[in-house]
Amino acid sequence: MAEKQLNCTLEAGEHQKARFAQLRKNVFEKQQPYAIVQADMPFELFHVMDVPVVSNQWWAAIISAKRLSAYYLDTLNSLGFHEGLCRYCSLAAASTLAKDPERAPWGGLPKPALLCARLTCDCLQRVFGIWAEAFGSEFVFIDNPGATELPPRWWELSRYRWRELFEEHRLKLTVAQLQNLIKVLERVTGRRFQLDRLHDLMERVNRQEEYFEEAYKLICSAPKTPVRMHEQVANVMAAQWERGSDWAVEHARAFRDQIQERIKQGVAACPNERLRLMWVGAGLWHDTDFYTAFEEEFGAVFVWSMYLAFGPDGYIRYGLDDPLLALASRTVSMNEQLHNPPWANEWILHHARQHRIDAALVLTPLGTRPAATGNRFIERALEESGIPVLRIVADMVDARGWDPKAMRQMVSEFLTHRVLPRRTLR
Amino acid sequence: MHITYYMRCLIAEPWFKMQTLHMTNSDFTAKLGNVSDPIERLTRHYENPAADALAAASNGVPVVGITSNTVPWELIRAAGAFPCVINSGNANHPDIPNFMEEGVFEERIRAIFGAAISGELQHLSLLLISRASEQEYKLYLYLREVARQNPNLRIPPVYLYDMLHTRTSESYSYGLERTRCLKERLEKLTGKFADNALQQAIEESNAARGSIRKLLSLRQPQPKVSGTEALALIGSSFFVNRDEYRRLAEQAAKLIEQRNPLTGKKVLVTGASLNHRNLHQAVEKHRAVVVAEDDWWGSQSAGEDVDTGSGDFVKAIFEKYYLDTPSPRLFPFEIADAWFQKTSADEIDGVVFYLPPEDCVTGWDYPRRRRYLDERGIPHLIVREDARSISEECHGRIEAFVQSIEAGR
Repeated sequence: MAEKQLNCTLEAGEHQKARFAQLRKNVFEKQQPYAIVQADMPFELFHVMDVPVVSNQWWAAIISAKRLSAYYLDTLNSLGFHEGLCRYCSLAAASTLAKDPERAPWGGLPKPALLCARLTCDCLQRVFGIWAEAFGSEFVFIDNPGATELPPRWWELSRYRWRELFEEHRLKLTVAQLQNLIKVLERVTGRRFQLDRLHDLMERVNRQEEYFEEAYKLICSAPKTPVRMHEQVANVMAAQWERGSDWAVEHARAFRDQIQERIKQGVAACPNERLRLMWVGAGLWHDTDFYTAFEEEFGAVFVWSMYLAFGPDGYIRYGLDDPLLALASRTVSMNEQLHNPPWANEWILHHARQHRIDAALVLTPLGTRPAATGNRFIERALEESGIPVLRIVADMVDARGWDPKAMRQMVSEFLTHRVLPRRTLR
Repeated sequence: MHITYYMRCLIAEPWFKMQTLHMTNSDFTAKLGNVSDPIERLTRHYENPAADALAAASNGVPVVGITSNTVPWELIRAAGAFPCVINSGNANHPDIPNFMEEGVFEERIRAIFGAAISGELQHLSLLLISRASEQEYKLYLYLREVARQNPNLRIPPVYLYDMLHTRTSESYSYGLERTRCLKERLEKLTGKFADNALQQAIEESNAARGSIRKLLSLRQPQPKVSGTEALALIGSSFFVNRDEYRRLAEQAAKLIEQRNPLTGKKVLVTGASLNHRNLHQAVEKHRAVVVAEDDWWGSQSAGEDVDTGSGDFVKAIFEKYYLDTPSPRLFPFEIADAWFQKTSADEIDGVVFYLPPEDCVTGWDYPRRRRYLDERGIPHLIVREDARSISEECHGRIEAFVQSIEAGR
């Protein structure tokens, strides 16, 4: 495991572990309700209703980092679910279907009051439906209306002109579904939803994302990156899972401050940085050491992933007179923004330029096929802009079939033959 | 971007492909003119899915291509256009890998994409993409982007009919509103929508549905037509004028009624959608009869009639497609499984699950449906390879399966 260079990274890890332990305690000892939710759900509503949430993707990453994905995915296959089915979204469900809490990370997931997902692919209602049945819990979904207005540079409109960007009919449907979710949360908690609390939370989320924006701009402008990509991810996602909380806002500020301080002191994450790399796609959770493996020989540092950049561009909403509508606009297009043309390719190219990227590694997760959409458009946009691309065919959580040595060798050859010669020419 | 010689020809010479297509269409029309057997005529339509659409386009009729069963045929027809499901194109077109990730899109969607980017669909006035599946939504986004990046390519205009299939009051309201917007779009396309046109289109379509139901009644409980044959007779309804279809289907049903019942074991096919007949042929080669398939290309194609009782025709059409049309997005499980459960319990001897290598959706339903069959003692078999090229090993398993149900029930 690569060293943690920022104190706040260690704090984020400890915080998450303690938070999960507290959640288990509250669920088992005080019978408090909690929810398991897909990563692109409007967490804000749960926070306003004081319902703790566990992100499906976060739990999958934990399982994968604990080297348990093969065990759970084999279990899933033994139950009759074939090997071609998506793994990222189902790994956490598999940990429930395995009925083996002794083996699960940190004691495993207790029974939730709710499971919730946005239906951004045809598998999700199935995975969550099966999971909810296994727990005997309620499943609430938010359906996903299709985007038809697709201005390529969406991030220039999303903060102030989000009403027009995300289309009135899509927002109307999403608000209606959020209102339905609120009713369910009121029933589950016995508490009334308060719109002014949501308004305040949305303002705090804006503040949090503004800190993250400052952080990424510091990374862009520093001569060498002050923070490695995987430390960015650890800090950002710990805060995003509970975005808008006092801890999250403060953590975002501390993250920004520590980056600022390192730049002031001339500290680089990798002092011999010569190549700046971009990782496109979800994290490689079962082998995070991969991200530092090319520093020593090539001075190649992963500088960018979607996790830090998406917070400011995807979440900030100004003009919060109707906070539920603003929340709907934050929720309704995450899939298009991150994974589909034209939004994903244009946005990633924009960030590649801002971050002075020399080469990109693009994850094509065949074990999670819907997450692979848009990749060819992204790859072509980067290549046509002079940024060499290496396609990584691997799964983000499934280590079966991942050959760490061979993959490192492949990247080394890519850097040697395609990236370094260009760098020398410039 | 990388463009093949074929695409360069299209950009340089728009008639390059149209001439090829028209020649094919003329050949087809000439050959069909000599065929009087309605079964053969419908089968030829099934095997030449673009033929009537091309003929309509060459006669100046606007043709609207649709990507699957959940786009209201009646609205297109009422607007004076020719509706046609797109079931042609080359899924292995050399330009497809430049845009579509391997292993992500199913063969049928790749083929539609290939047809669109290679100019094969330039006879369409509009390509209407349904939201029956997430892959179709991605198809829409991809085609929009290819057209944006390559304005010289002869890609037809695309439109997303965003009817969501989840059963909630919010989805219902949204879908109804989207259906009204679709009507407006079609009105703009053709410039006409006569007052009684919707009613006429509904009547025409309902009559065709009645003919399909008649054909289906000849498959169960006493099959007089093989599944292989039936799939073509039913599937052709997506490619021809429905008045013409009804006439031919009625004649075909009369001929089939006179046949003796088939004697093989009765099999239901479920799983991934089948826009070809290879799996049916493979099963029936081994003396079984496919009497139903959980698929909009076959047994689930017609459903009930559009109910015009309310007088709001657009709403009636929407409700038909929302409430009585299969889609991979259907949820909850009770509704998604209802047809399968009812049919498999209705004198079916065995069930074949078709989960090809490209499947990443219906496999989630397999253990639940398998459990349902196990609880009732209904034998089942899983086919996990591409039915377009079934291996000898798979043939052997199908044969053994049919033999086992012959021996056991």
